[in-house]
Amino acid sequence: MPGLPSSVDLDECISRLYKKELLAESVIEAICAKTKELLMRESNVVHVKAPVTVVGDIHGQFYDLIEIFRIGGFCPDTNYLFLGDYVDRGMFSVETISLLVCLKLRYPNRLHLIRGNHESRGVTQSYGFYTECSRKYGNANVWHHFTDMFDYLTLSVVIDDRIFCVHGGLSPSIHSIDQIKIIDRFREIPHEGPMADLVWSDPDPERDEFSLSPRGAGYTFGSQVVKKFLDVNKMDHILRAHQLCQEGYQTLFDNQLSTVWSAPNYCYRCGNMASVLEVGENGDRMFNVFDAAPENDQVKDMQMGQDKMGEQGQLPDYFL
Amino acid sequence: MEPPPPPAPQSPASQSPPISQLPRLEILTPTQLSTGNCFGPLQKCINSGPDVSFFLGSKAYKDIMTWITQLNHSLVPRSSVDTARPVSFPLTPNRKDWSEPVRKLRELLQKAEGLMGDAPPEENKNRRFGNGSCRVWHRLLQERVGGWLGELGEGWGERVKEELKGYFLGSWGDKGRLDYGTGHELSFLAFLGGLWKLGYFGEREGQEGQEAEREIVLGVVEPYLEVARKLITTYTLEPAGSHGVWGLDDHSFVPYIFGSAQFTRPISSTRLEPTPVEGSCPGAPKPASVTSKQTVEDYRKTNMYFGAIGFIYDVKKGPFWEHSPMLFDISGIKDGWGKINKGMVKMYRAEVLGKFPVVQHFGFGGLWRWEQDPELAREAGGQSVHVQSQPQSSGTGQGGVTGGTKAPWAMGGVTGGMGGPSGGQVSMPRPTDGGVVAPTGFPRGSGVPVPRGGTPNTGPLEQTSFPRGGGGMHDKVGGNQFSVTKAPWAKD
Repeated sequence: MPGLPSSVDLDECISRLYKKELLAESVIEAICAKTKELLMRESNVVHVKAPVTVVGDIHGQFYDLIEIFRIGGFCPDTNYLFLGDYVDRGMFSVETISLLVCLKLRYPNRLHLIRGNHESRGVTQSYGFYTECSRKYGNANVWHHFTDMFDYLTLSVVIDDRIFCVHGGLSPSIHSIDQIKIIDRFREIPHEGPMADLVWSDPDPERDEFSLSPRGAGYTFGSQVVKKFLDVNKMDHILRAHQLCQEGYQTLFDNQLSTVWSAPNYCYRCGNMASVLEVGENGDRMFNVFDAAPENDQVKDMQMGQDKMGEQGQLPDYFL
Repeated sequence: MEPPPPPAPQSPASQSPPISQLPRLEILTPTQLSTGNCFGPLQKCINSGPDVSFFLGSKAYKDIMTWITQLNHSLVPRSSVDTARPVSFPLTPNRKDWSEPVRKLRELLQKAEGLMGDAPPEENKNRRFGNGSCRVWHRLLQERVGGWLGELGEGWGERVKEELKGYFLGSWGDKGRLDYGTGHELSFLAFLGGLWKLGYFGEREGQEGQEAEREIVLGVVEPYLEVARKLITTYTLEPAGSHGVWGLDDHSFVPYIFGSAQFTRPISSTRLEPTPVEGSCPGAPKPASVTSKQTVEDYRKTNMYFGAIGFIYDVKKGPFWEHSPMLFDISGIKDGWGKINKGMVKMYRAEVLGKFPVVQHFGFGGLWRWEQDPELAREAGGQSVHVQSQPQSSGTGQGGVTGGTKAPWAMGGVTGGMGGPSGGQVSMPRPTDGGVVAPTGFPRGSGVPVPRGGTPNTGPLEQTSFPRGGGGMHDKVGGNQFSVTKAPWAKD
């Protein structure tokens, strides 16, 4: 096994990744190690200033990530906040998370990455990222590097002291954001408790309070919960992702909470739009809605797919 | 239709030995029906990973597998004594002469479908994704289903009907989340299996021709799938727990089992043979032809596998190999539809019945019993592969009951899936030096937090503001290159 490279040229990595080329395993290892060092210094609640463009779930839809940069501006000309769920389900989770991590290392104050419920060993084992890493690299090492790094991603961001940003939602164990700061987050996402709730919960416009989520993890929370949280923390908006939206976004509870969803035509079929939310310097919020990237529709050479997927030996074991 | 290839030569040695009897779901005796208070509203029993292990050794699990393999076997083509061509069992959309029980179920499905006319999708720009009118449809169904089920059979007690109603209502997706997936499909199979147990389809002991089972699949399961697809498209139901490109299908599974059975190698029509595990029926299209939209069009009305793939073509954009790579890889199988069928049954056991997120919603009662099956318990030897990917409830250790994976229908143990750790071949996340041990599966229960590396910075607030505007090519903190600090023992 080759050792670590003596140095990593991030600009070269980034330009390769923009072309959807994979990085070498040893480079991924080095990049993940460096990213851990960087993320370790971030608080569980990172404070940032507008202007910033906020992005929801990507789920390995690499072409659509590039479309976001084409629409919203490339790094570092635009500041970005990603709300998690970079991997699983889509075909290009490795390329997606590789690019985002390189951009984070290259421009650490211009791009922030929050942890989503899919940035976890347990979930990625079932929903594709593990399989994708194994197929594209021939072993699971890269999956280990990435998922070890996921343990260091921050849990929330506050924009201009006014907008609370998280992947899933609120938790009955969290009233004040100070309670988020004391979570020991450097770990696999637990099955329950405040850390799990932040990445798993959903708003429920039909309710006022918390109730158990039908997902089997986290809670649903209603209007009174949102109002109280914003009052206590002297904020005016909650911004989250985690749920598919037909129009690319949804605003609830008298404009106190928004869901932003950034995977257009989810799973190649849902026909949904996607959006990014641009928060301006004066605090105004504008959803920039977009459709699936043209690359998704191009008739691609099947050979290309087979190269990517390998030939035989890619059958699920059930069929061997 | 392609010209039929010559029938594969079958040497006696390659033929499967006759079997004495097919596993079939037992019909409950009047005594079983009248005793006990086990019938009633369905009970949720699967709340954590160990519960899934128990389920995999339960009577309910054993019966579900028996039911599926029984239905599956009925669809296998039979060699005919009268003609050179085997008899196969395609879908017959225009058939009218269904047996009475099947005809009544088809009417039930039509009535359920008809309710969509009374609950047209709403125009609501502020909806999130699924159309809220689906909840109206669910409400109408709930209001009427009691009466409809009453018309199906007489003499069932209220508590038995309550169970049937639970499975039927659970067959159409989640009305809260507005999604649909294989768990709902399973609920419909449980509804039909429940009817079988109640003798609704008649006392069919000794019917080796399996006409009753065949009618259930072709005459009821397929129309059910069609109604479900219409629900999905009418109300834009989300794929429940889809694995995206890394799963078989966003919504359904059983049409791939039954459809591959329809195309598999013929078995004898006069003596009992097990379901073939390789080979195809003469005249069946090649598995590879699923990538041809035209061939799929040609077969989707007569074969359930192609019917399911036809629906994928209806709803998905982009190249087939990209949006459906698993089906694409399976289409490369050279050993025929029998091999595909065998794999589908194995995969169903592991990926549907063995997965907490799917079966956590399954309800139990007197028809499908939450009780340890003595036979499965006896056969359960080693650690079930299912168990590995299950969540743990707080304070409960893994272990205890292991899933029974060997049963009369078993064809070797379940082996892995897409090669993930749950597949049983790849070990769990490696324990790293003082590293993070991964709890697996879905949340609930305790995790094992052991941070690696430095101490968490949860103290004073770190105000990292974005610099304004562009031109950050030379960010102080970032920078293009970083050097890698190597351990003393690292080699260049």
